[in-house]
Amino acid sequence: MSLIEINNLTKKYKSANESVLAVNDISLSIGQNEFVTLLGQSGSGKSTLLTMLGGLAEPTSGNIVVDGINIYELPSKSIADYRREYIGFVFQSFQLIPYLTVEENIFLPLSISDLTNPEQKQLVNQILEKVHLEKKGKRLINELSGGEQQRVAIARALVNDPLIILADEPTGNLDSKTSEEIMKIFCEFNDAEKTIVMVTHNTGFKKYSHRSIELSDGRLIN
Amino acid sequence: MKLYNISLQSLRRRKAKTFFLIIGLILSVASVVTLLTVSKNVNQSIAANLDEFGANIIITPKTDDISINYAGMSINNVSYNNNELHTNDVEKIRTIKNKDNISIVAPKLLSVEIINPANGTGDKNVLITGVRFNDEIRLKKWWNVTGKIPSKGNEVLIGSEVKKKLGLKLNEWLKIRDNDFIVSGILDATGSQEDVMIFMDLNESQKLLDKKDKVSLIEVAALCYDCPIEEIVQQTSSVLPGANVTPIKQTIESKMTAMHRFEHFSFGISAVILIISMLIVFTNVNASVTERTKEIGIFLAVGFRKSHVMQIILFEVITASLLAALIGYVIGFLASRFIIPVLTMDESTRIVYDYSLMIFSVGFSLAVGFIASIYPAVKATRLDPTTAFRSL
Repeated sequence: MSLIEINNLTKKYKSANESVLAVNDISLSIGQNEFVTLLGQSGSGKSTLLTMLGGLAEPTSGNIVVDGINIYELPSKSIADYRREYIGFVFQSFQLIPYLTVEENIFLPLSISDLTNPEQKQLVNQILEKVHLEKKGKRLINELSGGEQQRVAIARALVNDPLIILADEPTGNLDSKTSEEIMKIFCEFNDAEKTIVMVTHNTGFKKYSHRSIELSDGRLIN
Repeated sequence: MKLYNISLQSLRRRKAKTFFLIIGLILSVASVVTLLTVSKNVNQSIAANLDEFGANIIITPKTDDISINYAGMSINNVSYNNNELHTNDVEKIRTIKNKDNISIVAPKLLSVEIINPANGTGDKNVLITGVRFNDEIRLKKWWNVTGKIPSKGNEVLIGSEVKKKLGLKLNEWLKIRDNDFIVSGILDATGSQEDVMIFMDLNESQKLLDKKDKVSLIEVAALCYDCPIEEIVQQTSSVLPGANVTPIKQTIESKMTAMHRFEHFSFGISAVILIISMLIVFTNVNASVTERTKEIGIFLAVGFRKSHVMQIILFEVITASLLAALIGYVIGFLASRFIIPVLTMDESTRIVYDYSLMIFSVGFSLAVGFIASIYPAVKATRLDPTTAFRSL
């Protein structure tokens, strides 16, 4: 059963002089609990596709249906709610808030929920344990290594228990050993029934995924 | 964790930004508090000085008789004193509801008498005025006396024209109704009717003119910085039903103009400070929003609504504004303690603090912070998620 349905998705970026076709008529289904890697050269449209899946860039044409919801037919407030409930983002350069501690960064998605402080705290402690950072919750971000920062970003993406993890080059800034550790964490969460869509240049990571999709010039080629 | 925790941590850990945001607001609040406190105190000081500088109410007996003129005010002819005021009317004036606003009450007895100087220049008609010198010299700050103010019953003070007309000198004798008086002081020319008068002690004049306890008019100096002079006039009229109580509007208006000039100046400066502080906060918050595009992208990525982003920014500014209001109020309060004695040129000035200024400070600071940050906050919410996301 597919969780994500992408139908004839096209995205054009217009600048003053030219129009760039970043994604060109892509149709794709991703099943629940599936781990998909999106491969391709720079500028192939991988990140644009991921951004549209996350409800952050409206397609020029086509639609995306997630769990039966056509996300770009939702009003703006509901798209934000969709991101909070369905999506966890992980970025190449971690994207943590530098003035917040490890715990506070992980608290972010929960700060707009109806959960009480003790309930929030319990969830944060659980996820910190899962990413092996339980002793570093009070630290500021700049006191952590790159691998630890990425684990904080993964914890933040997962703390509100979303169905889908969208990861854009999550190991791009990490050494090979740390990258392997991060991939293992993704696999653990995939085993825990999370659907993962990961953009990567590294073909070596195909082995962790159920399916690899390759893009070139905004089109699916494989 | 709630949204306000994010704002508080941002303020706490982005120290330089917070410092410049708060310091701008503190300077504005402190300047305005200082200006308003100084303005109020200096105005009161000016008012107190002006109120003692001449009368602003004249009380005369009600009469249909022909009047003579005194100090620009019409008074009844002293020859027909069928409705004169009395010495105890002075005490009645001090019983009115606004009695605390009454500064000086100076009763006078007037009479035109034939003067016979001992120097043999011949008899002349001169206006004799009985006064209480203690009150009179407080009321007539402009008086400049050669010799001394009379302190005994047989001493008189003569106007400059009287001196010329009768050829009198200091310590020379003159005769009024067969009583001898000595010139103890000569009043320098004032350009008013005082120049043609002879002043003597009120009690002595009452005995001399056989008008025991009677007075012809009463001059009153009321402190009218924040009191309606009309009310004082009305209250005085009710305790003195047989008298005409007349405010000297020109004097009052001149005083009010002088007093409010500094107040208007202060309000003008405050308005300029308001605009400058708004620009400081606007620039700070606007730059902060531009710098925080990436951060806003993160907020949107984790599912924040635009309204959540706006709440975070506004909460930050409101918290900074409240903090600045309290610190600014204290600084302004302390600064005014040093400035007021300098401006009033009186070290002993009792400084009156208006504690409602604290509420004003909070309101002012919040208004500045809110108005100046509303555009950047709205700008943050209008940030295209794609743009914010691309910066990640």
